[in-house]
Amino acid sequence: MNRRPLAWSAALALTLLATACAKKTPPPQPDLGGTTVAKPSQPAEDVAPKPRPEVSDQTQDPLAGDIAAVNEYLQKNGLLGDIYFEFDKADLTEESRARLARNAEWLRSNPQFSVTIEGHCDERGTNEYNLALGERRASAARDYVASLGVAGPRLRTISYGEERPKCTQSDESCWSINRRATFLVTGRTNVG
Amino acid sequence: MRASHPIPAIAILGALAAAPGAVGQAPPASPDPASQGRDITVVLPEGNQLPVVQLAFPEVPDLAALAGTAGNAARELERTLRADLDRTGIFEILGPEELAVLELSGDLERDADQYRSLGAAMLLQSEVKLEGDRIVLEGRLIDLASRQTIVGKRYRGTFDLARRIAHTFADEIVLFLTSKRGIALTSIAFVSDRDGNKEIYLMDYDGHDQRKVSGHKSISMSPSWSGAGDTLAYVSYFGGGGPALYLADVASGRKSPLVTEGSLNVSPSFSPDGRRVAFARALGANIEIFVCLRDGSGVRRLTNSPGIDTNPAWSPNGQELAFTSSRAGSPQLYVMDAEGANVRRVTFQGEYNDGAAWSADGTRIAFATRAERNRFDIAVLDLVTLAAQKLTDGSGSNESPSFSPDGRRIAFSSTRAGGTQIFLLDSRTGGRVEQLTFQGSNSGPDWSPYPR
Repeated sequence: MNRRPLAWSAALALTLLATACAKKTPPPQPDLGGTTVAKPSQPAEDVAPKPRPEVSDQTQDPLAGDIAAVNEYLQKNGLLGDIYFEFDKADLTEESRARLARNAEWLRSNPQFSVTIEGHCDERGTNEYNLALGERRASAARDYVASLGVAGPRLRTISYGEERPKCTQSDESCWSINRRATFLVTGRTNVG
Repeated sequence: MRASHPIPAIAILGALAAAPGAVGQAPPASPDPASQGRDITVVLPEGNQLPVVQLAFPEVPDLAALAGTAGNAARELERTLRADLDRTGIFEILGPEELAVLELSGDLERDADQYRSLGAAMLLQSEVKLEGDRIVLEGRLIDLASRQTIVGKRYRGTFDLARRIAHTFADEIVLFLTSKRGIALTSIAFVSDRDGNKEIYLMDYDGHDQRKVSGHKSISMSPSWSGAGDTLAYVSYFGGGGPALYLADVASGRKSPLVTEGSLNVSPSFSPDGRRVAFARALGANIEIFVCLRDGSGVRRLTNSPGIDTNPAWSPNGQELAFTSSRAGSPQLYVMDAEGANVRRVTFQGEYNDGAAWSADGTRIAFATRAERNRFDIAVLDLVTLAAQKLTDGSGSNESPSFSPDGRRIAFSSTRAGGTQIFLLDSRTGGRVEQLTFQGSNSGPDWSPYPR
């Protein structure tokens, strides 16, 4: 993987956040595919590939790094959070709608990202039916976010049925966490 | 042309003459059940709860003296034959231990009454011999009342075919006695995570020779046999674009994509003639049943209702599909014709029914029904009366039933022994439960058709 430090990164500040996640975040990579939030007018080619001391990485834009780092940042800061479903249902609750509205807002203000919405189920359905139910959950989340002004092509769905539980105990505390739709940043789009 | 995993050949060396000391004529090797042995044809009672034939099966002579590979193969052959015959449910076997009380002369004419004194109605005489690097089984099933050999066969094959020789002879016996082919040469496709990822596996019908078919290191699941038993359709996530459909050629192991467009293509079911595959696909939040040709072309929609329509299962005559739909509010089983018309609901009890699997004669559908919120039972639906009967009750959560090709057994997954494992049970009584898998988590069994 190509890992060029960003010359302008020191200017970005947000020092507290960057420091908070610096331990686990690998050095961010330049965004060769398009523009960045911090300096939308600066083309990627102008980024100086000048070697810099490692310490400077702590002050990078957390959204300029690789996709794994972006997702880690989002999770740590409670952005693009999961929504949860009732037993056997794919209907959005009031709480889910509120959460999806916040997710939509973040997606509108960060139009460079595309996301995959994963639909998950608890273990109490059959494997096959749960694959279908997970897709309905992911689709319900996608449709609502799209209705709030996020472009459809940025939103992909995938159902894992009961194949990827977040929590593996057989009790309601786990089941309620497993009946979820999860947002994952999976790519950058050429927008802005 | 030649598959990399050739089908092993056993020389079937024809019918044996009458047993030593036996009187009367031996019937031909492959009897026409309509005309031969009418008086001894076993009519399985409804439920098949009792063994119907007491079978004396003495030790195969002189095996202890065989050393090395030959000895191992010979003993494996005997073990397999005993297990196969026991597993049929047709016999209660009187083995060497039970027969030890007898004082046998070696002359059938005199020994027959000794066997009968223990209640035995039939005798299985077998000899295992070596011919160079081949193993030979000579087996005779003898009716003790008439002293007639009713099935007599001689098989020869390389040592690695010992189990296959035993299976072939067992199936021959079952065919003669029940007029229905035995299932000892069938196999079961299933899903296992024993190597860390869910992959497609195969095993023999008795759980032997468990081997991996897919190696995608992703999530692979939902295997479905083609009617000819040469291909599996299955689901995998390895392409990265959501669950998609693939085919695996069983002999060569070659995989090919079937349907990969769209976010969700799941639950494939091969038509019995192997020409089409039914499956479920997402159209946004709407999940519908589709069908395509074996090469992935000609994708056509069969159902049209909001909500979930999924998990299609082709009827044995290819004219109907059973499937699961949430159209009435909860998952229930429906049947429609293969063009999508004439949809009718067939389950009316239980809040959650899924996983339809047809019996080979098309008269019954096995499925999983949710008992409490936490677990499922296997049930069987009679398609004439629409009455459903539970085959499991209270032991673990039980899913994914699949009939054996003779309709007498059902493979399913269960959590009853900890983890998820594959079991067999009797399709009429729920009895004779047998656990086939022990390593990792195992699920989604699909029983093969009869081998061609």
